[in-house]
Amino acid sequence: MPIFKTPFNGYSVKFSPFYESRLAVATAQNFGILGNGRIHVLDLPPTPSTPISELSSYDTADGVYDLTWSESHESLIVAAIADGSIKLYDVALPPSNNPIRSFHEHTREAHSVDYNATRRDSFITASWDDTIKLWTLDRPASVRTFKEHAYCVYQAVWHPKLSDVFASASGDCTLRIWDVREPGSTMVIPAHEFEILSCDWNKYDDCLIATGSVDKTIKVWDVRSYRVPLAVLNGHGYAVRKVKFSPHRRNYMVSCSYDMTVCLWDFMVEDALVGRYDHHTEFAVGVDMSVLVEGLLASTGWDELVYVWLQGTDPRAP
Amino acid sequence: MAMRELVTGGAACAVPGGAGSSSSSNPLGALANALIGSSSKTQDRLKEIPSSTATATSPSAEFFSLPDDHLRALPGSELDRPLLQPNRPHTQGSEFLSGFYSVDQNGALSDVWDEIHQHGPHPLLPQPQLQQPTFDGPPQRVLSSFLHSFVDSSRAGIPFRPTPLPMLGLSQGDKQCIRDRSTIMARHFFADKPDDFIDAQVNALLSSLDIDHDVRAKGPLPGRYRELEDYWNESQGMLKPGPHAADGWVTEYSQQQPHRVDPDAWAHSFEQQHGANGWASEFEQEQSQLTSVNQMRGANISSLAAMEQTRMLAHTLAQNDDPKFQNSKFLQFVSKMSRGELIIDDNQVKPASLIAPGDWATEYQQKYNGGQTWADEFVGSELSHGPDRWVKEFTTEREQHGSVDDQWVNEFSKLHVHDWVEEFGQQVGEGSLGESSADNWANAYDEFLNEQVSAKQQLNSSRGVYVFSEMNPYVGHPNPLKEGQELFRKGLLSEAVLALEAEVLKNPDNSEGWRLLGIAHAENDDDQQAIAAMMRAQEADPTNLEVLLALGVSHTNELEQAAALKYLYGWLRNHPKYGTLALPELSESPYYADVARLFNEAAQMSPEDADVHVILGVMFNLSREYDKAISSFQTALKLKPHDYSLWNKLGATQANSVQSSEAISAYQQALDLKPNYVRAWANMGISYANQGMYEESIRYYVRALAMNPKADNAWQYLRISLSCASRNDMLEACDSRNLDILQKEFPL
Repeated sequence: MPIFKTPFNGYSVKFSPFYESRLAVATAQNFGILGNGRIHVLDLPPTPSTPISELSSYDTADGVYDLTWSESHESLIVAAIADGSIKLYDVALPPSNNPIRSFHEHTREAHSVDYNATRRDSFITASWDDTIKLWTLDRPASVRTFKEHAYCVYQAVWHPKLSDVFASASGDCTLRIWDVREPGSTMVIPAHEFEILSCDWNKYDDCLIATGSVDKTIKVWDVRSYRVPLAVLNGHGYAVRKVKFSPHRRNYMVSCSYDMTVCLWDFMVEDALVGRYDHHTEFAVGVDMSVLVEGLLASTGWDELVYVWLQGTDPRAP
Repeated sequence: MAMRELVTGGAACAVPGGAGSSSSSNPLGALANALIGSSSKTQDRLKEIPSSTATATSPSAEFFSLPDDHLRALPGSELDRPLLQPNRPHTQGSEFLSGFYSVDQNGALSDVWDEIHQHGPHPLLPQPQLQQPTFDGPPQRVLSSFLHSFVDSSRAGIPFRPTPLPMLGLSQGDKQCIRDRSTIMARHFFADKPDDFIDAQVNALLSSLDIDHDVRAKGPLPGRYRELEDYWNESQGMLKPGPHAADGWVTEYSQQQPHRVDPDAWAHSFEQQHGANGWASEFEQEQSQLTSVNQMRGANISSLAAMEQTRMLAHTLAQNDDPKFQNSKFLQFVSKMSRGELIIDDNQVKPASLIAPGDWATEYQQKYNGGQTWADEFVGSELSHGPDRWVKEFTTEREQHGSVDDQWVNEFSKLHVHDWVEEFGQQVGEGSLGESSADNWANAYDEFLNEQVSAKQQLNSSRGVYVFSEMNPYVGHPNPLKEGQELFRKGLLSEAVLALEAEVLKNPDNSEGWRLLGIAHAENDDDQQAIAAMMRAQEADPTNLEVLLALGVSHTNELEQAAALKYLYGWLRNHPKYGTLALPELSESPYYADVARLFNEAAQMSPEDADVHVILGVMFNLSREYDKAISSFQTALKLKPHDYSLWNKLGATQANSVQSSEAISAYQQALDLKPNYVRAWANMGISYANQGMYEESIRYYVRALAMNPKADNAWQYLRISLSCASRNDMLEACDSRNLDILQKEFPL
């Protein structure tokens, strides 16, 4: 399957929810410690043997830590920049007209952005300034700031069905669940003893949340009884950087880690690790599953490579 | 800044990253050796950690679980070897690693590398990076090249120059950036390690960049949440002896409360540190930093303690014998940075306690206030029983809240009357959500653009100013230019510099005088002067091809892609033969792809023109396609085998693409042609250091310094090599710049 080489270190990869062959990649120079960033918009070739083509790319003054496709406009991308800014790009416009918007509110690195799939004009961003911000496309400033976490918020993810609910994963070792209609978080789960770097909602059972932590584990939580995790998935050798539930199979999820691997899990069975992909040669920090093509996976890492492959095949196979 | 951006003078292409590049290359070698030579303690360590079964859990093979060997055997699996290989130390290797790498045949490797590049962005596609307003101020650019050079040099390096960094006026913001990000990342990565190890790691890293404790990091350690965990565990009936009694946390909370008031905790902490005028004083600090360069340079004198520290870091890292990790460029990057200066300051950077551990109390309260509205949507009542046990833990707290249930019901009904957007829109209108909320995004964007403009102005205004020698016997010489040329030809570079200075003092508009002066400085490894001189040469004669080429090379060394392209394109445009290829619309800010295409056309037009191949080589360095760069330089060398600066460029590129031993033979060619080529001597030392051969590297540095004691960078490299070779006894001679002792001790 095709491979794409990025000039900077990969940070995040996302499939377009509109085009099955399109994806966007967020990258940052110098491992995101200092330097520029670049967003790549890529088109997969019709046949696997031909190379990935780059539709466009956008440079930023600081590393790009995350990005997301708009759920309402097929050409819109929202990016979370390490300088704390949130930038909007319209792939349909020439590079010189981009970014079409830039929001400077986060006082520290913006680390994640997630577009609301049910309320399609809004998105949330999580930042190392300990806050989460809610935005809508038509407003010049954030709609609201959620400040409760006591340390960096690494990811905030919308609930798949309830348009007002989201979860956030933080370095303060808690997972919080929020309702934007409420003044504070509605649930605090001290999910791990170490920093929590990622979380995601199950797309089929929307009471389930997965968390990935520096303690190398992934835990699956049921918000109805959150005292004990539903499952604890061991297998990563270092901090788990991102977790993502499958959009197609209830019990499946994918994760990537500082141990440089991407793992596929079935959290309901005893032997949960379904597969381990060892293709990255540096920390694997970005992974996504296509909503439109079942089993299509993409990953990126600090080895400056983007891999796209079908589940069950070797990412490095030509 | 501008001086710096031009650094790494004309003829001597030290290659991208060159500018701030790689003194810490040596530590890398040592680190790599330590890693490779290490035994397998990691396994044990990993076993101690629950769930660290990187290899253990092997998969029900239903889908694709392929064992590593299998994967490696797959076509395409060698793709990552070129990436792995760079970090391989040449000198020493465990059997496992050599076995791993022995698969690499060199030929296959380059093919594969090319293949990767074919998959990469097509070189002819326009890449918008150049016109974007994204390259902000020079400090960032230069620092970026500095940081990158660490990575590059981990692949066996290019000259790394820590000295210039203070010149860059590493802004407080940048420092904070590096500091915070590396701190945060280190905690992710070294979760298994004790806090003081992480602190030490980060401290060492920061001190090499002159970042010290005066920049406060965002600091809370995850461990500070012990309290929360304890309470949680207690509520789970696990009965850990809780360190805090119920009123204990209340006290703590109120103590810490002031810290929490400011929504922008870090900004607040900054204020605490620097007083209300923190930002202004920060700016002043930055300014003074720019001026007191020498002070900065002297700031990091390492000590025996620092050496110990270094050993400890290497040792700990060495415990991880996972080959993938040993080859991780990131880890080497961190290690190299941490060992760049080997300084551990007495005042350990203790992360500021910005955030009260008692914060959970707020959280606790909010939990009640917030109510379980959406949770009810989920499952109804089940959840609301959840917090009961917590409540029992904190009966005092509970009293304050009284009728919790009523409260949240009220909140609930109140809130749901309004659409949430409206509600918070109102807050935005009142400006209660922070200073920038009220700003129109367009204004913010304008602001951003203005920043870009002012950054550019800064770049232009601070451009290198040439500094003349005070005592110059050639002033008054009847024909200093001729004398300078003669001295230059003889390789007496320092003398040539004086003569040429006399010439340009006499004829300030003599482009040739300035140009030769620039080249002399570059070959003497004095980049700032080289660049300043080249700028003057270009002012005097804007179309001089050699000057344009030299400036293009300098900017390439600085990774100043836009500027480099401007000059290289200027070369093409002003060239009598290729000028016709130039497209008028490109002139101001050409795309990389366009310029690359034009030079490829030029190469086709006259394949015998070495200069075109040289520029292609430089351009490939710009895009980090080192293999292509190497073959371009080799082509040029076939046409101009006696161009010593070309051999040096080839060597630097090879060093950049991890071929240290090849690099050494290229440098040797340069030195055979020009024995007084200080830069090549110093580069040679760097390449030896990159291979862990510190004794050798010391000899070459000493030789370079004997020829030009003003080569500050070489002093820095020397110091690091002395440390790495455990020759602390000679550090004093190095610090006092006593060449007599050094030459006696390290004859070449």
